[in-house]
Amino acid sequence: MQCPKENGNAAELMIAYVAEALEPATQIALERHITQCADCREMAAQQKAVWDALEDWKPAPISSDFDEKLYQRIAQDEQRGWWRRLTGANWSWAFRPAMPVAAACAALIVAFLIRGPLSEYDSTPQVQPQVSIEQVERALDDVDLLKQLTPSAPVEESAGERI
Amino acid sequence: MSLEHIRTAAAAVQSPQPSPDERVSPDMTALASLERDAELMLRIREGDQASFSLLLERHRLPVIHFLYRMVQNQAVAEELAQEVFLRVYRSRDTYAPTAKFTTWLFRIATHLALNWIRDGKNEKSQESLDAEIAEGATRQVADRGRTVEQEMLYQARLGEVRQAIENLPAKQKSAVLMHKYEEMEYSQIAGVLNCSESAVKSLLFRAYETLRSRLAHMA
Repeated sequence: MQCPKENGNAAELMIAYVAEALEPATQIALERHITQCADCREMAAQQKAVWDALEDWKPAPISSDFDEKLYQRIAQDEQRGWWRRLTGANWSWAFRPAMPVAAACAALIVAFLIRGPLSEYDSTPQVQPQVSIEQVERALDDVDLLKQLTPSAPVEESAGERI
Repeated sequence: MSLEHIRTAAAAVQSPQPSPDERVSPDMTALASLERDAELMLRIREGDQASFSLLLERHRLPVIHFLYRMVQNQAVAEELAQEVFLRVYRSRDTYAPTAKFTTWLFRIATHLALNWIRDGKNEKSQESLDAEIAEGATRQVADRGRTVEQEMLYQARLGEVRQAIENLPAKQKSAVLMHKYEEMEYSQIAGVLNCSESAVKSLLFRAYETLRSRLAHMA
């Protein structure tokens, strides 16, 4: 077997070797190599030391009422479930298609409140002319006066000649 | 589901069960048990409460032990484990057996533990952690009947191991604990940590390298 350190896979092999996770043939070959290679022997010994040290760390016993507490939590969760389903995120999904419409309506209402009714702005103010009879009479007099001052043009003659 | 109903269902599931310390291995027995887990989940969805009790019986210890080594506090580990199983129960309607059940279960457990560590909650329980170390060691020693000298040596050794694990980055720590104590393969650890197998190898190499430098003198 070629030295794993030369292959660059020493770490992977040593971890698997100590964990006894290698194929039997590879395990035996590596074991044989370790007896001949000092570097690999040292690395395997260090990994074995770590492995054994971790093995010593036993977990503490579990509380006797673990299951009891869990079932209580589940029961409480189930009771709260109805209210959560009513008030939970599902409603937002249910109303999701209506959200753009609602947003558009809200925008229109806000615009209406800020700017007021459109009719007030679109209708131009109508100015009612207040003309008195005296003004009309005066204007007619002015027209007559202008007619008198204007010289009579030979329009009809010219026109007759053309005809 | 009423509490009484669950109790009755749990009592009904007192038939001989596989060892709670059952580890994940690639042989046919493990494959059958994995399929059984998925089947149990599907039965829970159909309202079979006894299946949940069975599932709890099968996975309670590995989950709590993993969490205990992650957070190094028994009370917190049990609290987090309850949350894990509560989430499993809540997910009964949406569960799809697309991945191994244990991968999914440990993904929930790892997620909760990493969140707990990230939120710095471990600092709050530092005092209880010290008491926990002493208490836990005492419990272990009592069974082994060591002398006072052996006891002190053991305590020092155990303290070093725990400290070395505690000092690892959170992801390296979870990878090592799943590899060493749950005997998970790289592919399954990758599934739990949601990363590639090569990333898991890298995490493990770095973690064991750190541990070798800190614990090699124990050889």
